[in-house]
Amino acid sequence: MTLSVQDVTVRYGGRLAVDHVHLEVGDGEVVAVVGESGCGKTSLARALGGLLPENAEVSGRGVLRSDRHPDLDLGALRDWRGVRGRRIGIVPQGAMSGLSPIHRVEAQLREMLTLHGGSSEPAQLLERVGLTARELHSFPHQLSGGQRQRVAIALTLAGEPDLLIADEPTTGLDAVVQGKVLALIASLGISTLIVSHDLTGLLPYADRIAVMYAGRLAEVVPVDALHRGRHHPYTAGLLAATPSTDRAVTWASIPGSAPPLDALPEGCRFAPRCPIAVEECRETAPRLRLVGNSEVACHRAEVAGDASYPAVPRATSECGKPVLTMTGLRHTYRSRSRTTTALDGVDVEVGRGEILGLVGESGSGKSTLARIALGLIRPTEGTVRLGDYEMTGARGRRLRELQRRTGFVHQDPYDSLHPAMKVSALVAEPLVIAKVPRNERADRVHAALASAGLPEEVLTRTPGQLSGGQRQRVSIARALVNDPELLVADEASSMLDVSTRGGIATTLRKVAIERGLAVVFVTHDMGEAIQSCDRIVVLRHGRVVDAGACSRISSSPEHEYTAQLLAASHH
Amino acid sequence: MSTATSAPEVVARPRRRELLGRQGRVGAVLLALIVGTAAYGFFFLPDGAGKKRVGSPYEEPSAAHPLGTDDLGRDLLDQLVVGAGTSLTLAFIVAAVTTVLAAVIGGLAGIGPRWLSATIMRGIDVMLVLPELVLFILAATFLGQGFGIRAVILALILWPVPARVLRAASLTAWSRAHVEAARAMGAGQAWLLFRHASYLLGPLLVPVFVRTAMRVIIYDATLSFLGLGDPTAPSWGTTLYWVQVNGVFLSDAWLWWAGPPGLAITLTVVALALVGTSVEDRLNPNLQESR
Amino acid sequence: MSGVQTSAPGSPVARRGRLTYLGGRIAEYVVVLLVALTLNFLLPRALPGGPLKLFGSPEALARLTAEERAQIATEYGFGDPIWVQFLDYLKSVVTLDLGTSLSDGREVTAAIWDALPWTLLLVGTSIVFTTLIGIALGVIGGLRRREGKGAFTLIGAIVVDSIPQFWLAMLLIVWFGVKWQIAPTFGATGPDGVTITGLAQHLAMPVATLTITGIGYIFMYTRSSMLNVLTSEPVQHAHARGIPRGRLVRRHVLRPALLPVHTLIMLDIGFLAAGAIVVETVFAYPGLGRLTFGAIAARDYPLMQGTFLVLTLMVVLMNLLADLTYPLLDPRARTGASER
Repeated sequence: MTLSVQDVTVRYGGRLAVDHVHLEVGDGEVVAVVGESGCGKTSLARALGGLLPENAEVSGRGVLRSDRHPDLDLGALRDWRGVRGRRIGIVPQGAMSGLSPIHRVEAQLREMLTLHGGSSEPAQLLERVGLTARELHSFPHQLSGGQRQRVAIALTLAGEPDLLIADEPTTGLDAVVQGKVLALIASLGISTLIVSHDLTGLLPYADRIAVMYAGRLAEVVPVDALHRGRHHPYTAGLLAATPSTDRAVTWASIPGSAPPLDALPEGCRFAPRCPIAVEECRETAPRLRLVGNSEVACHRAEVAGDASYPAVPRATSECGKPVLTMTGLRHTYRSRSRTTTALDGVDVEVGRGEILGLVGESGSGKSTLARIALGLIRPTEGTVRLGDYEMTGARGRRLRELQRRTGFVHQDPYDSLHPAMKVSALVAEPLVIAKVPRNERADRVHAALASAGLPEEVLTRTPGQLSGGQRQRVSIARALVNDPELLVADEASSMLDVSTRGGIATTLRKVAIERGLAVVFVTHDMGEAIQSCDRIVVLRHGRVVDAGACSRISSSPEHEYTAQLLAASHH
Repeated sequence: MSTATSAPEVVARPRRRELLGRQGRVGAVLLALIVGTAAYGFFFLPDGAGKKRVGSPYEEPSAAHPLGTDDLGRDLLDQLVVGAGTSLTLAFIVAAVTTVLAAVIGGLAGIGPRWLSATIMRGIDVMLVLPELVLFILAATFLGQGFGIRAVILALILWPVPARVLRAASLTAWSRAHVEAARAMGAGQAWLLFRHASYLLGPLLVPVFVRTAMRVIIYDATLSFLGLGDPTAPSWGTTLYWVQVNGVFLSDAWLWWAGPPGLAITLTVVALALVGTSVEDRLNPNLQESR
Repeated sequence: MSGVQTSAPGSPVARRGRLTYLGGRIAEYVVVLLVALTLNFLLPRALPGGPLKLFGSPEALARLTAEERAQIATEYGFGDPIWVQFLDYLKSVVTLDLGTSLSDGREVTAAIWDALPWTLLLVGTSIVFTTLIGIALGVIGGLRRREGKGAFTLIGAIVVDSIPQFWLAMLLIVWFGVKWQIAPTFGATGPDGVTITGLAQHLAMPVATLTITGIGYIFMYTRSSMLNVLTSEPVQHAHARGIPRGRLVRRHVLRPALLPVHTLIMLDIGFLAAGAIVVETVFAYPGLGRLTFGAIAARDYPLMQGTFLVLTLMVVLMNLLADLTYPLLDPRARTGASER
């Protein structure tokens, strides 16, 4: 047993972030702490590294054992010198932007080696993380994201720690690279605690999974047991809410959203969202108990197999005549020192009632394409037609009129809504801009709100009072209110929790059917595209490498790159 | 430190924006006191206060003249109070004009067509190579010392630095998601500016205004001190000019003659700086996080 | 600064070479310099009175007959087309033949050559003090932000930054020059010519004035840069990797925090010569600032043009130097992103 955490609680002022958590990490074991934003997983990891901000109060024990050092109670520790780096190696969140920008990789590795008394050589450390001695002389900005993440891992290996804590080691990396980094961590043979929001991504690499919800452990389960049967309804929900690249597996979402830390419900905290909750769940909090070979905190663990979540619907009819036609698009960005070709001869068409998935990794040009469709960027070459109108040539007032026939759902739910406007004003904004008479506005706002699946109460709130999922629905309502022909959703769910993503996809499908909308759905997640779209266009370096119906793409990808993306989406 | 430690919907943005901290409030109170003094001088002192001979020359402080009199028997306290009015009026007018100029030019450079932006930026580059103080001295020497002329010159010379700041800010504002979303709705430039960008850029105008006012007060006093002001109109710099001309620091008279106006300039600039840095600190997200 | 659009590894990015980039920057400076020269050339021609005033006071000009005016105009080329005049001016700049001063008949180049060393001495000395003290305090202020002392230093910096130079100079003269008679109040050398002690004594008060009034700005800039770096990801992560605080500050905070300060100070040096006008005037220090002020006051156009030229050149040169030295300090500006 390398680490044994008992009764750890973390509070920020009056807000309870981690609530009496027990957890163990065996020798050489990889344990993944999984949950959505606000579940307390990061606070737990930071508490174990002594890295909580000053306003946090921590209590509980965390005993670190090893055959090379005496036992250490992290809970009673006041002086962390000689612990971080030597006994606990930490790969912090966003590690690839956390390397020193002014030192070469070799100097950084050497610093850790001398500081923590490591016996290897910098080149050996790089070799262990799958890099070559060539990278020794590089500065971090000369390396790719994946390479930087590997260097960050090498840095923590220098002091030969007993325990590795990796906080979201895959965020910001492209899907293909994510798997490689996780495989690397799992192959190191060190007792490891990985903190992540991506349950399915970790399944191939972790030994045990600890699922957290609203500050508490929902379940601690060996991965092989997870494959056989599911015990906690939340775990089941998380698995069902991760889109599979197989069209035969349905995609679901968990209704509602996680409770804020200052308004936690009585009893089981998941009860308000749980499909099989009973009275008991709302009254008494379940304790962790042994069910099979996993520990589950659920009164209804025995019948959890019955838990079913609403599935994301598929298209019901054929798509109509084309709404958006883009032909021969080329676009280059120029700046003082370089020219970047973002799009290089792309043709795309979307019809009425159709959802087109635009899939690609960062730098593929998918966002540029979306912005060209919206008239935000004028392409260097090529034409864009919206309905019967040519958009590429339109400027000024004419262009703005055309833009009023499209709706836009931006990626970032926290920045895409003006923070000082109420929801009623936010949703009505396109109507005001389009000079729709005042007396028509209220009805249309209500209708749009209903289509986006929001209750009327939110009208009087400001974005700061809404959850991420709700905000994104406000964005959708805003995009729908002026009755557009085309809706462009740019990574609309990428910043949302897994459990709510399916909900957004459901809403988009509903409006595509009900309003006969053409939808362009931009995403980097192949699974999500396969589950929620009708057709998919795969972009790479500004070129279309593959295009076709979802089922065809999913079952027999034409291009090797598509196959790679499918494999990287691993579920 | 944007972690998942607290529900993101709660921390995302403060509901009410407070622009002034404790420091800033101290500065604001100090500034209010100085403005009050200036207003008192404007409304309650007789015409020509500080300009007319009211006692014998070189009087030491007394009940009638708390700060004594100058070489022509003019009351030094009156000069101080009237000087506050002159300095602040000039500072606020120039700061207002400069802020508007900087906002318009910086905004155009930020969101206007590329050629315009490039032209403006090169223009600013050239302006920034020319030493401000030398330009002031030059302009004051050749174009005269009238209040209006001086205000125009100051505004024309002071706009480039804040314009560059506001250009950068407007570029950032223009790339914000809610501005882009509004653009995609087919909103006109005016709507984007007044409904969206004003929320982001508005608070930035406070430090721009305050910093310009600070520089105006210092430059104006410096010019007057160098003898390039109106030697008959009471102002802090002019009083100090006469101190220099009369070699007052050879006697103890410097204490009540040179001390108060210099202190007044320093205090006014400090008050403005407190307000300015306080607002800037609050607008810098990096510092806010660790607060 | 290089472009808004970042490119992903492997994307078709055509990166122009570092040398081409530098060449572009230098070309920009040449343009700025040319525009500044043009302004300088137009200056006497644009000011009230026309170009003939180059030859003396308005009264003297009034006495000239029409023939005399015409003669001067031909002799000095005012009758030529404006571009010929401009080329002549450029030629005079390149050959450093800037004409003669109207007030004392000296060669402008010689007058500037006499004044320049004094200004460099004054400005150089005060820059050294300002930089050392300002940065030291700024670093401490940044590190101790939470403690009372940090806030106290900040207020101190604001106060020091707000004192008008000329007033501080007066106070110094009152105390150190008149009351205690420790330091001489004017000039650059004593009666016995150039001696080390004499130079130092005469430098004391001007340097003190420039240093004290200059510290606040550098302090605040350094402090805010420190705070930015202290909260930056690389530093937070280095802390998480177990690097002790002292080493963290020395190795991971100071250098990145001082990068922007370096640029600031370089630009500052360029402007200080012009900024020393007030101090040189109050202390009657025979430097470039006083020369400039004297030239303006006496409406001595050739001398004015000459001093402006030098002041602008200094600013442009320091800008260029700042640009050229920055990549030596920041590897990110030195080596481009890889294509992998």
